Amino acid sequence: MDLVFGSVVLGILSGGIYALMAVGLTLSFGVLEVINIAQGMLVLVGAYFSFALEHYWHIDPLVGLLVTIPALFLIGYGIEWAFLRPLRQDRVALSILVTYAVALVMEGLIGLWFGDNFVAIHAWYVDAAVDVFGLYIPYIYILGFALAIVLLGAVYLLLYRTKFGAALRATVQNRDAAVLIGIDVQRISTLTFAIATGLTAAGGMLFGATNAFNANSMLDLISRLLMIIILGGMGSMGGALIASLIMLVSVDVVSVVWTPNWSTFAFFVITVVVMVLRPQGLFGAPPARKV
Amino acid sequence: MKTRAALVALTASTLLLAACGTTTSTSSAAKSPIVIGVSVSLSGDFSGDGKAILQGYQMWVNDVNKQGGLLGRKVQLKVVDDDSTTQQTLTNYTTLIGTDKVNLVFGPFSSLLTIPAEQIAKRYGYVLLGPAGGAPNVFAEKYKGYAFVQPASVVNNLLTFGQMIDALPAAQRPTTVAYATSNDPFTQPQLPPLQAELTKDGVKSVSYQVFPDETPDLTPEALKIVHSGAQVVVLGTTSVPQVQAFVQTFVQQHYTPKAIIATSGPDQGSQFATAIGAANTEGFLVPSGWTPTANTYQNGKFVREYLAKYGGTANAIPGDAPEAYSVGQIMAQMVAKTHSINNATLIKALHDTTFQTVQGPMKFGPYGAPVGGGTFLVQWQSGATQIVWPTSIQQANFEYPKPNWK
Amino acid sequence: MKPNNMLAAGVISLALAILLPLTVLGSSSAGVIAFVVLVLAALWAVYTIEKRRALLTSLIGVIAAIAYPLVFNSTEATTIMFFALLYVAIASSWNIIGGFTGYISLGHAAFFGLGAYTIALVADRLGLSGGYGLFAVALLGGVAAGLFAIPMGYIALRLRTIHSFVIVTIAFLFMYQLLAFNLQDATNGSSGLAVPQPDWSGAFFNIPFYFAALLLAVLTVGLAAWIRNSRFGLGLMAIRDDEDKAAGVGVDTWKHKFTAYVISAVPIGIAGAIYAYFSSYIYPQTVFDPMIDLTIVLSAFLGGMGTLLGPILGSLVLQPAQQLLTLYTGAAGWDLVLFGVLFLVVILLMPSGIVPTVVERMRRARVQEAVRKADALSQDAVPDAAAEGGQG
Repeated sequence: MDLVFGSVVLGILSGGIYALMAVGLTLSFGVLEVINIAQGMLVLVGAYFSFALEHYWHIDPLVGLLVTIPALFLIGYGIEWAFLRPLRQDRVALSILVTYAVALVMEGLIGLWFGDNFVAIHAWYVDAAVDVFGLYIPYIYILGFALAIVLLGAVYLLLYRTKFGAALRATVQNRDAAVLIGIDVQRISTLTFAIATGLTAAGGMLFGATNAFNANSMLDLISRLLMIIILGGMGSMGGALIASLIMLVSVDVVSVVWTPNWSTFAFFVITVVVMVLRPQGLFGAPPARKV
Repeated sequence: MKTRAALVALTASTLLLAACGTTTSTSSAAKSPIVIGVSVSLSGDFSGDGKAILQGYQMWVNDVNKQGGLLGRKVQLKVVDDDSTTQQTLTNYTTLIGTDKVNLVFGPFSSLLTIPAEQIAKRYGYVLLGPAGGAPNVFAEKYKGYAFVQPASVVNNLLTFGQMIDALPAAQRPTTVAYATSNDPFTQPQLPPLQAELTKDGVKSVSYQVFPDETPDLTPEALKIVHSGAQVVVLGTTSVPQVQAFVQTFVQQHYTPKAIIATSGPDQGSQFATAIGAANTEGFLVPSGWTPTANTYQNGKFVREYLAKYGGTANAIPGDAPEAYSVGQIMAQMVAKTHSINNATLIKALHDTTFQTVQGPMKFGPYGAPVGGGTFLVQWQSGATQIVWPTSIQQANFEYPKPNWK
Repeated sequence: MKPNNMLAAGVISLALAILLPLTVLGSSSAGVIAFVVLVLAALWAVYTIEKRRALLTSLIGVIAAIAYPLVFNSTEATTIMFFALLYVAIASSWNIIGGFTGYISLGHAAFFGLGAYTIALVADRLGLSGGYGLFAVALLGGVAAGLFAIPMGYIALRLRTIHSFVIVTIAFLFMYQLLAFNLQDATNGSSGLAVPQPDWSGAFFNIPFYFAALLLAVLTVGLAAWIRNSRFGLGLMAIRDDEDKAAGVGVDTWKHKFTAYVISAVPIGIAGAIYAYFSSYIYPQTVFDPMIDLTIVLSAFLGGMGTLLGPILGSLVLQPAQQLLTLYTGAAGWDLVLFGVLFLVVILLMPSGIVPTVVERMRRARVQEAVRKADALSQDAVPDAAAEGGQG
């Protein structure tokens, strides 16, 4: 097995999982103009739901998605209705504060409910792997990557092949104009946020299957996810995917060819350089508004 | 808008009431109890360990009160949460000692938080027994009132592993070893002494990695070890998730070393088994100062009471709890010996005595480093932890080589 | 709900959320009483300053702060206020770039860490011992922070889109943390560095630190006030409103924001050094800590961005609230939930921050009064009170 080859392949595959976790963040920014700091916590809520189903009721995590995705959809619906809809002016700044508070409450409740012990989601396809040119590729990564492509593809179709998607894109381009031509922006916003949160359930399951976690993992996660969507370009789904791959592959490759000590440093250098050359991010729309 | 405001208000008040409901104010018992201030991590990164430490403290208080307390006075804990931050730790100990004027204090979890606690204890001349502050920098503070209540200081933690490997028959002895450690004050100092010893014994280092404690993905580090094909793997891990990340990749890559040891993680009982999968625990080694079956002072009683109070199995008892319980035992012995709860008197009694604890006998050097003791090695075998080294107290033979992952 | 009622509801729930759990716990400590007094005093300060008695109010504020350790002579109260004052300085300093120009930096903890490492390394290399002299060394922390801010600002301020600026500043912070971990020979890596301690008694120990933090806070707020009322400050606020337009009317935007960035680094560096001295030991993750930035931004937002009083009020409320909640409800495991709910309530009721909300309400009340008076006098009079009025 070639080490660099292996780390690139596994970096790409686990990048898919990060993309699935980050896409909700970029979607809700694009449509609602909010930055959802609770995204990291929602990933963990999804992971805990999958864990609970698997651990207590022995429901396969993949099958469990049929439960956890709708559950997170409803949670997202509730958060948007209760906390984001009332925000009128200065939405970006306020949403950061409000969702941070929501995240803290969720972290506290999850901690009270599940305790602080680290847990992980188990399934046969987590440990098993297929031999490709001497490198064992775990099924969970293939599955995760496939799931990411399928779900991201579905959202893409939703955006570009449906009436809802057209209305949604109109909202992204210009909220005020969308209201004028009779689009129910409020409904679009709520549904988008709920869908974004629902997708996060899948990201959470995959995160929980590839990492041991507890409720305290939230801050690490959200800072990585924010980096990803800004590097990729706020609001861009493709950007989120590419930026996830860049993060995981760069960290992995520097780790194996040089030293793990400087691996994240290398990613930060890449981020700074990209930002200086392309402030709107890799796939961001060029003239970003100043907040 | 109205509904929403009402909803917010309702949620707020419900949560407040719930919070009030769960916090029962401690009623003071009889004539002036001895108050012991305890600041531990009940939230934040260390909350798992912090809560286990609190269990140990509380069990000791129950036991000591059952026997009439200290010097005929009941013992009472004043517990505060340090949120796993140094800032809150400073506030907590300053408040406990300076404002609340508690009689005695016990230490927090981790070397990171022990130093601020030690600093405040030093300022007020309080004795500080730390269940989990054994990194070299804690002793470098040179406070005579501090003691690290574990059998060996952190730098010597892994040396017994070197001895055990050296004791293997020459034909079986491994020839290569891979090291990987988190850049953490608790784990990083443990590896160089072991590396020196193993190198001397002819076990070659084929990989030595230091990784950031918070890294998104440990797969490349694990792959590097797989690639090195080392026969022995030494992991300087701070938490269960780090061990889990390595094990997951090892399993997926069909790589089984002959022996694998981790500085922290496998000592976390059922939590460890849940995270890495029960079958994968087989053969895992961890240096330890305590096991449920050890024939040490009051250990049997400790285990029985723990299980009666918190349930579970003996193997699931986290190592933090007996370490914290030992802190209480040592305090009780010092108080009994000096007939005093004066901190200056207690500090003098800290150094010339051998104390009996559930972790075995203990003696401390001038700045609190444990003297003479050593860790023993515990190995997971058929879902239970067994002492495999030193041979004088071993409960099972060292399982070597480790069987394949399941 | 009427706006005034909402404000009242906000203040009441704030007070309740803090007081209720504490009274039920039965711990009536000096720190809590001090905190409640503090919040009321701060709200009063906003009120009077809006009434244009700024100088008098500030004077009373400073005198009260000097008297504080005498009145609340408990180590709990002084420790908590020490941290709160330190954050007043930090948040006010951050406000010079973040609030005045709108360039929200999430990397200012880098300066905090640089200050902390400066004092630790200087004391170590020169073999200094603890005492009053180390407070002078803390000033070097500010110098170091200012020097490092020059190349950082040079790169980061090229980014005019807010998201990329934010992310580059965060990246800088993490890079410093990694450097502190990895450059072991200089920084002792993950084992951290000790700062020599003075041999003051426990009862006295906090007092010099309290006054050092107070002095730093007063000077920083003074600096911010001076900048705000200067031509330079006008330029900064023009950048916040519209950078292109500011450039159009002849403001050298680059020079303005670059100077503001470097200036804002200095007090934070000093604060980091004082913190390191107080806490006696530093690790890369405790001084190059992203939570510091989060706290700064939350304090500034909570109090009101871009106003002078906002970061002061935000820090004075948020820091003690967080520490007291942890101290008194943490053992029951409810501190996170309570803190989150408290925060939510305040944000939802006062979305633009405490100071602007209070100011806005007062202004509206004044307009209404003016209208009423005008109505009484004559039918033709047009009130224009809304056009004037000082900003907090």
